[in-house]
Amino acid sequence: MTLAPTRLVARGRARRGLAPGGFALATVAAAAGAVALAGCGSSSGGVGAASAVGVPIGVQSPLSQPLSGGRRGGTLTVLNHEDFESIDPGIAYFTLDYEIVDATQRPLYSNKPNTIDDPVPDMASGQPQISADGRTITVHIRQGVHFSPPVDREVTSADVAYGIERGANPNVANAYFHSYFGSLVGAEKANGGPFPGITTPNRETIVFHLSEAKAQIVADALTLPLSAPVPEEYAKRFDARKPSEYGNYQVATGPYMLKADAEGKVLGVGYQPGKSATLVRNPNWNAATDFRPAYLDQIDINIGGDPTVIGRQVLEGSDMVQNDTPAQPIVKLAYEHFRGQLSISPGAGSRYVAVNNKQGPFANVDVRKALWAALDRVAMNKARGGALVSDVMTHFIYPEIPGFEAAGGLAGPSVDYNAYPSGNMQVAAKYMRLAGYPSGRYTGSSTLQIVGATGSPEAEDAEIVNQTLHNLGFHTRLNLVEKSVMYEKFCGVPSEEIDVCPNVGWIADFADGQAVLDVPFNGEHIQPSGNQNWGQVNEPQINRAMGAAETLVGAGARAGAWANIDRELVAQAVAIPYDWEKAPSIESSDVAGVSDLWNGGTWDYSFTSLK
Amino acid sequence: MTRYIVRRVLWGLLLLVLVGALTFVLFHVFPTANPARLRAGRNPSPRVVAEISRNLGLNRPLPTQFWLYMRGLFLHFNLGYSYYSEASVRSLIFDRLAATASLTIGAAVIWLGCGLSVGIISALRRRSRLDRASMGAALVLISAPEYWLGLIAIYLFAADIGQVKVLPGAGSYVPLTTDPWKWFTSLLLPWLVLAASFAAVYARLMRASLIETMGEDYIRTARAKGLPERRVVLRHGVRAAINPIITIFALDVGTLLGGAILIETVFDIPGVGRLAYEAITHADFPIVEGTVLLVALVVIVANILVDIAYAFVDPRVRYS
Amino acid sequence: MSPGPLRARRQGRPAGASKSWDRGDERHGGNPAKGDAPARLAVDTVSVGAAEILPGATRPLGLLEARERLAARSPLALFWQRFRRDRVALGALVFIAVLVVVAIAAPLVVALLGLPGPYVQNPDLTDAFGSPLGPSLAHPFGVDQLGRDVMSRVIYGARVSLEVGLLGTAVATFVGVTIGMLAGYYRGWVDTLLARTIDVMLAIPILLLGLGIGAACSVRGCADGLIQPGLGVIVFIIALANWPYMARIVRGRVLSLREHEFVAAARSLGASHARIMRCEILPNLIAPVVVYATLMIPQNILFEAALSFLGIGVRPPTASWGQMIAAATPIFQTAWWYMAFPGIALLATVLAFNLLGDGLQDALDPRSAA
Repeated sequence: MTLAPTRLVARGRARRGLAPGGFALATVAAAAGAVALAGCGSSSGGVGAASAVGVPIGVQSPLSQPLSGGRRGGTLTVLNHEDFESIDPGIAYFTLDYEIVDATQRPLYSNKPNTIDDPVPDMASGQPQISADGRTITVHIRQGVHFSPPVDREVTSADVAYGIERGANPNVANAYFHSYFGSLVGAEKANGGPFPGITTPNRETIVFHLSEAKAQIVADALTLPLSAPVPEEYAKRFDARKPSEYGNYQVATGPYMLKADAEGKVLGVGYQPGKSATLVRNPNWNAATDFRPAYLDQIDINIGGDPTVIGRQVLEGSDMVQNDTPAQPIVKLAYEHFRGQLSISPGAGSRYVAVNNKQGPFANVDVRKALWAALDRVAMNKARGGALVSDVMTHFIYPEIPGFEAAGGLAGPSVDYNAYPSGNMQVAAKYMRLAGYPSGRYTGSSTLQIVGATGSPEAEDAEIVNQTLHNLGFHTRLNLVEKSVMYEKFCGVPSEEIDVCPNVGWIADFADGQAVLDVPFNGEHIQPSGNQNWGQVNEPQINRAMGAAETLVGAGARAGAWANIDRELVAQAVAIPYDWEKAPSIESSDVAGVSDLWNGGTWDYSFTSLK
Repeated sequence: MTRYIVRRVLWGLLLLVLVGALTFVLFHVFPTANPARLRAGRNPSPRVVAEISRNLGLNRPLPTQFWLYMRGLFLHFNLGYSYYSEASVRSLIFDRLAATASLTIGAAVIWLGCGLSVGIISALRRRSRLDRASMGAALVLISAPEYWLGLIAIYLFAADIGQVKVLPGAGSYVPLTTDPWKWFTSLLLPWLVLAASFAAVYARLMRASLIETMGEDYIRTARAKGLPERRVVLRHGVRAAINPIITIFALDVGTLLGGAILIETVFDIPGVGRLAYEAITHADFPIVEGTVLLVALVVIVANILVDIAYAFVDPRVRYS
Repeated sequence: MSPGPLRARRQGRPAGASKSWDRGDERHGGNPAKGDAPARLAVDTVSVGAAEILPGATRPLGLLEARERLAARSPLALFWQRFRRDRVALGALVFIAVLVVVAIAAPLVVALLGLPGPYVQNPDLTDAFGSPLGPSLAHPFGVDQLGRDVMSRVIYGARVSLEVGLLGTAVATFVGVTIGMLAGYYRGWVDTLLARTIDVMLAIPILLLGLGIGAACSVRGCADGLIQPGLGVIVFIIALANWPYMARIVRGRVLSLREHEFVAAARSLGASHARIMRCEILPNLIAPVVVYATLMIPQNILFEAALSFLGIGVRPPTASWGQMIAAATPIFQTAWWYMAFPGIALLATVLAFNLLGDGLQDALDPRSAA
């Protein structure tokens, strides 16, 4: 079975863009003319009102697709080049995995396909109640939701509690448990069993007790699959295995379930690693309890195959979609000849060059600014597929996330090192002089260690950064390694003292400034391994501002506070941004695809229908 | 004879252990990455990493790990479990073996057929234009990187993206049990590409071997007896000349069964080679070890079988 | 002498088919998936003929006149006479010579052709979707995804291929000759150890091993800097994969050489083992070693390209043919030139070395010439 290489990528669902062989794409507003882009709208960050950033005419986007009126019935065939990372709702952390989890599991809250920052109650029956001191969250559970066979019984609050608790079980090792639920009382000692931070006073109520006033981020995190109910009495024996086998025997609460045998075994029945997966209707699902229309009868997912071939089959065939990123030639083909079958989703994450803020030449803010000024971000995004699939990144909160406009919008803060998307060596030389290199070029003796990722377009991006550093006078050593190795062994390990990581990226787990900025830029989160603050950014005033912003409650206040932090990050040039990703997806002409804005534009199986 | 076979088998087993040990040491001394950290995901607390490390048995001393592994292998034929999925390595490899075997056996049929016949004709018409042309072509095929040939073949002939749409291209592999006809057509291109350089090697081998044989005394004797030339060549010449090629053939097939990484990669065939390659990049050591042992096993068994077969075929072979 | 179980049995095939057996032999490098096996048959059969001509050839004759008189018919002259008649091999030699010159003078060649350097990126040479532009007058081989000139990179790529091919072969040859000579000369446990080690090496899929070491050592190097990242790792892998074959051949030659009279004579004159090996045996190994090393070079070039194709190789932006083919893979249907030209360069180079190796062998061993 293949292990997806992007395990550690950013929070989350960065999978799509970071797919090896897949072409996540990029460029600039400046190059927009080349692809005849429609007006680059603004993203308000307001509730469900965001407009697409730079999505061209004739191309669909999650924001333009009707959510109702589909035809019932039929089987959708999904052609994916890549396999799933994990189908266990407690482990799943990538775009592709989320599409299965979203169709089969019901977390407490979920976004509808066309939203990213407006979750509606799903397993919950109403909005979360946050106490005045920000230390207690109470959620009521919906009645009448049943687990799929062989469990069959009704879901209670204890099932939701167990679903979250097992995230701390080392056999499950959920990737975001400690980031969002770490402030629950007793969470740091939790290892899979009950802990004081989660209580269930009755069958319909679950209460979260926090040791710090960080209720908003915990409430936001209840949209993540970890809050989907898991029946303890059934799952416990699978969770005891190392690693947990619950994913292979999972039960569903959503409209669909992975095909399973009478004992509930999914592995080899509804999921053949590296080959296929099959979703069928969940007989115990009650439409009255759910907002999902669930038009399709069945979803057949084929895994593997050549990306280019898959893309052609989808565009020219019927009843098919591709759910991982189409290859670059396919995006071009779709745009030129099958435009109505192409969907572009804005807000699919950001990519930037992480530079070592702690030691070496980039500890100097002016050297960082010089690199920012020199880097040809248009060329980098062109290597990713051009303006169709990428906007030039100018600051750190990306489109569709609250605070994007306040932090500078598409153009970004007006500082001279950000003013030239195609790079400007004069500005770069000015900052090199400020940094103490009178010639405007680096004259020191050290050799920069650069670690990038193999595959296209990562390798191309890394080479552009490498060449730019050469032009600035640096000696470099560029190494390209498999992506998960890049994160785990080099960029995520401060003691390795890597100077430049050109291929890091971030997709927030949910639409909130904290989810975008906190982990990668807060000095308090630097870890000896598995570190995600790749540049070891540790600015005391930024750390303090983040600490204060974390405790804020309410969308408006939070957006403003995090936008200010974003501006400070740009002022310190803590990293060099280049790509705001817009994710392309393709469908057959007879598929009425609905893609998820909240999940990098992947097709939503519970809303998609056949024409 | 029996004593010989027993000795060979025992040494084969020891060899297997040695290969296993060498791989084990190499991948622990030069690790691609730390599997526990890879598994732990982002922002893991050191405690979680340590716990995963313990679960995977990575905190034990290396000799203990090796001992446990070998015990599992020999007592239960258990190759361990993937670090990332719950699946057992044995089932993962067996899952992929059908594709690899399909690729290998089909290609072997082609390269034996083409290589041997070209070799025989070349040998019989030595120094003719045909001989020179086919030996020249053989050297070109030997010199061409096969993954590149594969890409060119796809570019030219693949049914989906080729210039002339003839045969199914990359990623079209269908298991034999699903659809025999599709299985056949989907593998034709990879077979031809994989067989190309082998056929070239075998043609050269066969030619040289046959030329050598045809100069032997007993061939002259056979001719002198007035046997028809056709019979002399086929019955006496080819039969003797083909012997050494069988040795090579058994081993080539054996090695290929362990995965043809490059061809599997180019044609996107879910075989053992790809499995191992992906495992290496993800530091999924149990899969790497399992594949290496599979290759070693097949090579060793093929070797023993060939040598034993010789003992029956050729009485001149003496075993000490 | 106890043949290891994996050792080929010479009884099973006609003697003297050495040339063709070597042909099978050197395939292991370029295609580890298939090549390892035939190699085992090459044991001590390489250039039997050549070696039989040469023994004694390098013996000092003492008398100047005698030497001069014999010079006309010295093995070297004989060899050269024969080699000169082989037009194909001669052509291959010329091609390789030109290639070496081009590789060394790559900056000059690129400048003379009016091409941009191999590292010059130009985003204007890709279309709005980032697809590279094809061959034109300014860029005869087209450009890559970064707008770099493919011809320029193909020319620089020759450097990597030749460096790796020659360096890897040299290291493997040095190690193989040393170990093979010791084993063949002393026999006994040294020999047994060598035989067993070779058995183990032959049973390991070398491409997998190479990928593993490459992945582990590519950034920081390995073994406390003994294995340097980049070129060093590749050379190490190639040497590791190849020395056993060289060792076997050398061992086989030494086994027969040590029975020759001149060795006995040297011994009776009181020469030390080290001296006998250095002064009596080594000179007589040169011919088969050179032939076999020549045949190893193209395989090592292919092996480097295969490793690069799979993502293990020299550091970017250094151009390597295998790495270029790999980078072309995702876009080859729209940018055929990026895949075609590096592949053709690779094919031509490997072919030239194979032809040269064939020619050398024929010239040294006329009996095997078909």
